[in-house]
Amino acid sequence: MKTKSLYPYYLIWPALLVYCVFFVLPALIGLFYSFTDWRLDRETLKFIGWDNFKQIFSDKTLILALKNTFIFAIVTVIGKNVLGIALAIGLNMRLKSKNLLRAIFYSPSILSVLVISIVFTPMLRTDGTINKFLEAIGLGVFGQSWLTNPSIVIWTVALVSIWQHTGFQMAIYLAGLQSISKEYYEAATIDGAGVWSTFSKITLPLLLPAININLMLTLIGGLKVFSEVFVLTGGGPGNASQVVGTIILRAFGEGNWGMGTAINTLLFAAVTVISIPLLIFMRRKEVAE
Amino acid sequence: MNHKMKKAATGVIASLLALSLAACGSNSNSPAGTATNGGSGSSGGKVTLELAISKSSQDSAFVAQDLLDAFEKETNIKVNLQLLPAEQTATVLQTKLAVDETPDIIQYNLASAVTDLNLERNFEILDSEPWVDRLLNKDVLSANDHVYSFHVSQDTGMQGVVYNKDMFKELNLSIPTTFEEFLAVCEAIKASGVTPVFMPFKDNWAANIWPAAAFADYAAKNDPTLFDDLNSNKKKWTDIPEFATLLDQQYQVFKKGYTNADILSDSYDMAVGKFLDKEVAMMFMGDWLIENVAEKDPNIHLGLFAIPSSKDASLGASPLGGQLFIPKKAKHMAEAKKFLEFIASKEQAQKIVDAQGYVSNFNDVTTPKLPDYKQEIVDNYITPKKTVLTMDAHMLVDRSELYRNLQDEFAGGKTPEEVLSAWNDKFAQLMKDKGVAGF
Repeated sequence: MKTKSLYPYYLIWPALLVYCVFFVLPALIGLFYSFTDWRLDRETLKFIGWDNFKQIFSDKTLILALKNTFIFAIVTVIGKNVLGIALAIGLNMRLKSKNLLRAIFYSPSILSVLVISIVFTPMLRTDGTINKFLEAIGLGVFGQSWLTNPSIVIWTVALVSIWQHTGFQMAIYLAGLQSISKEYYEAATIDGAGVWSTFSKITLPLLLPAININLMLTLIGGLKVFSEVFVLTGGGPGNASQVVGTIILRAFGEGNWGMGTAINTLLFAAVTVISIPLLIFMRRKEVAE
Repeated sequence: MNHKMKKAATGVIASLLALSLAACGSNSNSPAGTATNGGSGSSGGKVTLELAISKSSQDSAFVAQDLLDAFEKETNIKVNLQLLPAEQTATVLQTKLAVDETPDIIQYNLASAVTDLNLERNFEILDSEPWVDRLLNKDVLSANDHVYSFHVSQDTGMQGVVYNKDMFKELNLSIPTTFEEFLAVCEAIKASGVTPVFMPFKDNWAANIWPAAAFADYAAKNDPTLFDDLNSNKKKWTDIPEFATLLDQQYQVFKKGYTNADILSDSYDMAVGKFLDKEVAMMFMGDWLIENVAEKDPNIHLGLFAIPSSKDASLGASPLGGQLFIPKKAKHMAEAKKFLEFIASKEQAQKIVDAQGYVSNFNDVTTPKLPDYKQEIVDNYITPKKTVLTMDAHMLVDRSELYRNLQDEFAGGKTPEEVLSAWNDKFAQLMKDKGVAGF
């Protein structure tokens, strides 16, 4: 009996071993290096305590990068989820072309960020398609140097990311919506419930598991942002769109690998500290409903 | 019966396994063995050399397909190019060197290799290579009294204002010798409907051409020990108000509308096209741009004059760029050295020197008649000793953050004073990290 009850755990071991070797161990090694002066031009390693971390917080560019990372994370979490829910509800209705539309909205998320960059970079130039379109519809006054104006560049990158990934969030919400029994809606219709009360009293609460998954995915993805910024702006102009991910690359580029691993450790800690309490909070809400 | 079947099946599987392992072993050992022996194809396998090069240097004479084909034909050694993204070249190479995934040959800049790639630790000393005795000028390939790099030329890259001589002639313009004269030239060109200056500052390094020459010219004329003082922390970048003036000059060229509109969206790889299409008249750049344009259209006549930051400024001379290096941990060391030997051979070196108009660095290779623009540089600047080694040659640390700050100036995020202040802080931190005395 005892052997039988342990049997499922045996199946976990191979995966656990791979996880430990390829994730836990490198993470611990990285943690160790973040307390050293590991550099390209040094033959030996020296333990330097908290020096790397002290230096990080005296670096104005890193403070800017942290601010940009949070702007990107918040904007994309809101954008991807609000639009994702709206699209999912729209495409959960009885539309003739709903399958085609689902495929169209989902398709950007399967493209490489590099492809997105190649497409969007010329479009976002001052003389690019987007400004020409705005001009054509009489909104030329809103034209911008989308990727070279330091005050809006991180917002532009966030919008491109929302455009690319909303379809993925939509797919998860669609799955969530289709798991809600139609009986609830039939009952609500009989009771004469309006559109808003049906949405707020039935759809939203029963969609909470999907919302939780999407919130966690978009939040963690937002805090770890790198590729979108790297390919669209390289952190520029100047340092205007630097995020923590590109700052880590910069530290490695300067040959300061100890510093790079220290910033990475901080990013890991920040993602953990923000996401785990949020997950616990959301799970509780889910149970309460 | 069932038991026998199992035994037979186990036997077959074990035999197949042993066979496949043996096959894997022989495959994986083959190239290594070849490399150790130094022979190309001596054990039947063909060696492929990995040559890493920045994408911005892909027009290098060392990686021309006919040269690589001729090398393969003669030695049966293939050369595979690893094109690295221009802005990430240093990072990618640092990582490759750190994790021992080293290419067999790297094309890089000697001065930058000293600061970026830890030359002494990572690269092979080439003092005893057969071509070294034929060198006319070992210094341009050396650091710390050792030859670390390879080139067939002893030219340094000259940096200043690349200009379209035909346009200047048509508009009856002469080469400006002061900043005020330069602005007047820009105004005349703009009035003719051509963009006076192309600034491709999406590539932030391009914003450094003006200050790199102008700062060096200022130091040479006013304070010859300035860079030594900066490198020993006796002076700070913010201590020299003239630096801010020089930065502001370049900004004024943009602010007065003498440049392309979208300078932070336009990149260096557009430059050749802009000159070919006669859209622009000038650009702050090196003489390599003139070579690149001449390759596409020899009928366009470009020249180079000194950055007009002060009266009669000197032309910037950058440290020789684009040498070949062999990492100490190259997997095919012998073949990599053979590749350098091949290029250094009298026949191949002469071909390259003739095609590129180089000043030969080998005593048995003849310097050809120089292209007009190069002869003018020699006559106007090199012979009368009106050149100055650019600021970059004196820097001991990675300059990327300076370039970002310069880009920030054009994005409206920093004044020249703020650029210098930010760079001062970063420079001090990088020098301290490097363990330089005084920081």
